[in-house]
Amino acid sequence: MNLDTAFWIALFFSTLRQTTPLLLTALGGMFSERSGVVNIALEGIILFGALTAAVVVERLEYALGPGPHPWLPWVGVLSAMAVGGLVAWVHAVVSIKYRADQIISATAINLLALGAPSLVLTYFYGNATNSKEVVNRLPLWGPEGFALSPLVYLAFLLVPLSWWILFKTPFGLRLRAVGEHPEAADTLGVNVYRMRYIGVVLSGILAGLAGAYLAIGFLNQFVRGMSAGMGFISLAAMIFGKWHPLGILFSTLLFGFASALAIQLQGTEILPAVLVQAFPYVVTVLVLAGFMGKSRPPAAVGKPYEK
Amino acid sequence: MLTDERRLGVLVALGGGVLFLLWYLAPWAVPHRLFGGEGVLLSPFGHHLPQGSLPQGYRDGWLLWTFYPSLAWLGLTLALAWTPKPARKLYLMGVLGLGLFLLAYLLFQASVAQVNAGAERPILRRYSLGLGSYATLAFSLYLLLLARLFSPGGLAFLVRRRGVVVPLFSLLLASLLGGVIVAVMKRAPGEAQSLREAWMLKLDLITYTYQLLYSPLVNPSGFLQSLLLATPLIFTGLAVALGFRGGLFNIGAPGQLILGAIAAMLVGVYLPGPRWLVLPLAILAAALAGGLWGALPGWLKARFGAHEVINTIMLNYIAASLFLFLISANEYKFFGRTLYLPFKYPGYEARSHEIRPEARIPHWTELVAPGGELSFALPLALLLGLLGYFLTRKSLGHRVLMGLLGGVVGYVMGGLLPGPGVSFGPDLTSVRLNGAFLLALLALFFFHFYVFRTVGGYELRAMGLAPKAAEYGGVMAGRKVVLIMFLAGALAGLAATHYVLGGGIDEYRLKQALPYSVGFDGIAVALMGQNTPLGVGLAAWLFGILLTGGLQVNLQLGISRELVAVLQALIVLFIAAGGFLPRYFTDPLRAAEVEVREEARKREERGEAR
Repeated sequence: MNLDTAFWIALFFSTLRQTTPLLLTALGGMFSERSGVVNIALEGIILFGALTAAVVVERLEYALGPGPHPWLPWVGVLSAMAVGGLVAWVHAVVSIKYRADQIISATAINLLALGAPSLVLTYFYGNATNSKEVVNRLPLWGPEGFALSPLVYLAFLLVPLSWWILFKTPFGLRLRAVGEHPEAADTLGVNVYRMRYIGVVLSGILAGLAGAYLAIGFLNQFVRGMSAGMGFISLAAMIFGKWHPLGILFSTLLFGFASALAIQLQGTEILPAVLVQAFPYVVTVLVLAGFMGKSRPPAAVGKPYEK
Repeated sequence: MLTDERRLGVLVALGGGVLFLLWYLAPWAVPHRLFGGEGVLLSPFGHHLPQGSLPQGYRDGWLLWTFYPSLAWLGLTLALAWTPKPARKLYLMGVLGLGLFLLAYLLFQASVAQVNAGAERPILRRYSLGLGSYATLAFSLYLLLLARLFSPGGLAFLVRRRGVVVPLFSLLLASLLGGVIVAVMKRAPGEAQSLREAWMLKLDLITYTYQLLYSPLVNPSGFLQSLLLATPLIFTGLAVALGFRGGLFNIGAPGQLILGAIAAMLVGVYLPGPRWLVLPLAILAAALAGGLWGALPGWLKARFGAHEVINTIMLNYIAASLFLFLISANEYKFFGRTLYLPFKYPGYEARSHEIRPEARIPHWTELVAPGGELSFALPLALLLGLLGYFLTRKSLGHRVLMGLLGGVVGYVMGGLLPGPGVSFGPDLTSVRLNGAFLLALLALFFFHFYVFRTVGGYELRAMGLAPKAAEYGGVMAGRKVVLIMFLAGALAGLAATHYVLGGGIDEYRLKQALPYSVGFDGIAVALMGQNTPLGVGLAAWLFGILLTGGLQVNLQLGISRELVAVLQALIVLFIAAGGFLPRYFTDPLRAAEVEVREEARKREERGEAR
């Protein structure tokens, strides 16, 4: 067992790659919870996004014939965002308009994400577990040897951007108001329902993006259960990051590091791979136990609003 | 009142329109169906015949015998809906419609029997009524429902039973959406000559899918198989339902099940001893391990305020890792040092050693007919036990004691009684239904008893309805949360007894094939069953039927079994949204308003009569 420089460099880049989907999803979850809606459906939405990206790109490749199509993965990314937003919208309708228990409604979507991909995959590929591999993956940007997927850059750029949106724009103010005290916001003429719809759909779009990253950035196909709890880990990271973009950046980096470590240790003889895989989940439990008490969620989160 | 009657007329007319459309588009009966789903489709508006003609010797004259009366019935119904005071007449028409459906069923069966009677082997196989006939049935039920709804007190009647109405309506909606999914995903077999025939084929495909899904209801081995698949669902459904009752959302049933399975395996493989000691210990170990795994997030919530939802999910993943760690290899390296484990059975597949025979839960044939003779022990024990419980008019302790006593007496008496000899065919004995099913029934009874008949259960429900109020009322909230999660986990852990000790996954071992996602299905079961023991039992059975039928759907139509998972998820979603029914079905306050309004109207009517 020798941990040389190459190990640490690999670990660093692996951390960035592992953090990206968590960061995207956690930022999305932040918008949703700041508006007062818990969205544990993010796990399922990641899967739907990944499925959409992989299937759309593969089907278009099939239709267009062989050859590189540099614009193709971007179509996949956009469609994954659209589907992610759509699925989140379903959660929004059920939990905002029909005042369902937000956790149950979201769990239904997660259950749907366990079953529905098999139907789609059977329809297109005749097998229930994974899609065909795509040729046109997302490109890598950056100098040779240190190149990263554009979505990695985007995820980290979204941190200051969402900070600015949340704390420096009227929209952000309204979003936060709706999550803290919807009655007061309503009195001031803010459309509570609309703000919540926007918050939830935004979270779905970002989670869909994370799914696209997994399917055609990280891998080149959809594999059943490929989200592996990332949606839930993101939510834990969001709580740990105190619903604040900067906090979320650091907490997702922690989780990303844990997963990256798990991956980097897998080939070595330091720890058995099956146990190392549980690492991020254990970290999540510990983090939630240790720091939950100190952070304060938006006051109205989880409660349906009624005029 | 007039507007109400007008509305009834419109509703009947709309339903009648849909009925007629279905009569026109859908097949009425399928006397013969090939493998792969294509069939001879009969409709009074023209048949679809894949071989160009009706099967040899088949007479389709019965179809017109039902069609014209049905047409007359529909016309009469539509007319009567617009007369004054229509509700009572619609009752009559509804019953008449049921009679028409029965007539069609009998005539059709007779026509098939006529062909099959003379032949050595049945010529017509896989026959059934089609959507057109079922539409008649559905419209009759719809008429009865409307009639009840528009009689005095009808709405309040429906609202009071919203615990049944919402799940059933959600099931209906999910089935409709499932039908659309099937229609989109699957090309109908056979070639259509016209647009109507294309519709006929598609609608028949959907009908056939659902017929297969519900086929375990009418075939004995499928029936047993549905009970088998319902067994773990009852446990996990109760595990989730208990959490819901206490205001907690237990998504951790998969992890609790895994821990239960591991514990049951450890006791079942490594603890020698007589059966009467080892089997109960193995079952207890499963409950205890699942309970402790459930209590952990409960404790984290009580102590640190960490939300149980994310923690239970994380513990699911951790349990899965632990499970793989134990049975996927026997040799691991820790920082260069080697660790040896004894749990994995040698060989390629990840599985444990076999459970010792003493720790196995008996197969259903051993329980029902030990040594080939039908035994009255279990039914008598159940009967006398229930009688003892329900006929004793004293305190709860007395009732339970009498129930237990009755059970024991019944068991001994039944064991001594001589039973007739029976033998079961291989298709029945191969179904691995086992004594865990009885454990599941006991768990249902325990749930009912604990939640609705004890102080602890009262506190639990108070916690679920208003945690703050319960706390001020003297409930130790923190401890209660841990206890609820412990009990829920123990119930989920017991599900493992079915798999590991009862051989529910083909072998008496812990295997990688352990279907722990059954824990998630428990959510659907609990919601569908509205967190009541009877409801959970029925919902688990429903899903057991669908899961069994799903295999048939996959086998015969090539549609992925996951269709059932999608249906379950949709049911959860729709129940969460209150079935998209009006607010008074989900909101108790508004439900009370409905009752008060109806009460006032009734009083007004009585006043007028005077």
